[in-house]
Amino acid sequence: MIRAIAAVLLGVAVVAGQATPFVPARLWDKKTPDFRGIWQVRGNANENVERLVVDPPGGKIPYKPEALERQRQNYRNRATADPSLKCYQAGVPRATYLSTPLQILQSPGNFAIVYQENHAFRVFHPEGRPHFDATDWWMGDTRYRWDGDTLVADVAAMTDLAWLDQSGNFHSTEFHVVERYRMTSGDTLEYEARMEDPVVYSRPWTIRTTLGRIKQAGARIIEDECLEDANGVRHHISPSDPRNLLKPDYSRWKKPAQP
Amino acid sequence: MRRAVLVTALCALVGGAVLLPLSAQSTAIPRLPDGHPDLQGLWMKSAGGFQGLFIGSLDGTNFAAPGGGRGDGRGGRAGGGPPAAPRYEYTPEAEAERQDRLKRGYEDPEARCHLPGVPRSLDQPGGLYPVQIIQDEKYVALLHEAMHDVRIIPTDNSAHPKNYSAWDGDSRGRWDGDTFVVDVSNFNGRTWLDMAANFVDANEHVIERFKLVDRDTILYEATVTDPTVFVKPIEFRFTLKRVPADQQILEYSCLEGERSLQHYTDEDGGRKRRAK
Repeated sequence: MIRAIAAVLLGVAVVAGQATPFVPARLWDKKTPDFRGIWQVRGNANENVERLVVDPPGGKIPYKPEALERQRQNYRNRATADPSLKCYQAGVPRATYLSTPLQILQSPGNFAIVYQENHAFRVFHPEGRPHFDATDWWMGDTRYRWDGDTLVADVAAMTDLAWLDQSGNFHSTEFHVVERYRMTSGDTLEYEARMEDPVVYSRPWTIRTTLGRIKQAGARIIEDECLEDANGVRHHISPSDPRNLLKPDYSRWKKPAQP
Repeated sequence: MRRAVLVTALCALVGGAVLLPLSAQSTAIPRLPDGHPDLQGLWMKSAGGFQGLFIGSLDGTNFAAPGGGRGDGRGGRAGGGPPAAPRYEYTPEAEAERQDRLKRGYEDPEARCHLPGVPRSLDQPGGLYPVQIIQDEKYVALLHEAMHDVRIIPTDNSAHPKNYSAWDGDSRGRWDGDTFVVDVSNFNGRTWLDMAANFVDANEHVIERFKLVDRDTILYEATVTDPTVFVKPIEFRFTLKRVPADQQILEYSCLEGERSLQHYTDEDGGRKRRAK
């Protein structure tokens, strides 16, 4: 079994131009591949996810005609309509290729990703139970399994409010993503996502990118709260509601000097 | 969504009640290979704390221990009996400020989807929002359902950074025997400790203690000091109970366009469309 998996990985590696597949370190159960760390993409796919498309050839998202019209409309309205401007969680797979880092937390039997942006997180659950039905979450519902040293995650139950990038690429609630996470060296994590959505796309399509490890000693992801205006109001709260207008940051509370 | 969360929470509580007699039979606690107690799992606040009674009133279930008061005289049960609600003794200046904020409960930062701060991140309404703990030799990570709040706490007792402040402050942990002790500082000073306008400023400093007292119970204690607001430290103490393994954390979104409102009419504060 392991030999067969290794052979498959070797094949992939040869295609990628590498001599031998990288074998990641193990957790303390001496079994589970260790993906822990702080990771970050380079590049600007968050502007346009089509930069990452590896299938279909040509790099275009295979929209159905009416969906393409909606995408073009989104694009025209992108300066205000991108939900990430309003502090919503970025969604899957967008959270992965934001310009901010993520941290993989792991222990035997546990796998979670914390995304710095908007302190979104996903707890990956082992396959074996069906997805939640009729939910519409920003970060979806994730089930995963190990395929050799590759983590394969199945993500469903996502809201149709999310965008895939700043260009208005989008999906419906029928969106279904299969992600593959694979370490290609000690400091690089390859990410692949195959997306299907029978409402919006004429066929499944796939993106691939690589995350690099943040290696600075003591590096941590930091708290990222959504942007606020001068009144301390987060933009996703309706600014037209007068009750949402906070007094400016309680500056009135002049705290006494520390005794 | 809220409803789904609540149902799950209630299911979890019922399940927890069934599991309790079993867990009581064993006092051995799980440990990681490094010898430290294994705090991992999905946990739900079960008793005590200020906000413990908030949800309890919805279905008659008392999530708080008998006698736990709300600490502000605005509701909940009076009387003694541990674990008592925290008692706040303000400086005169801060007391005036608090009375002023009490008139504007809607300014509670958490009601505006901001991170709750510490210890409020754990002192959520009892039985409602769980916290997932993932742990290794370097970190104890708290993934809270409520506000999708996250704290990844290093266990190396490292120093707080300079020139950094945050809603949740900066957390540095260490193991004191079997107790995980967390020192939290660097707060932005904008958080409230609860819905009743009990507040802190940027001088807040918290010492938290997580102790796995049996396989299914974490005793949580927090001491909050803030010399410019309180004349003496505030003590928090409550328990987290393990949620059965067939439950999972759900997504929490705090945002405009809350869909539950579609089920209510305008008169109820909702947005239900009526036939014309």
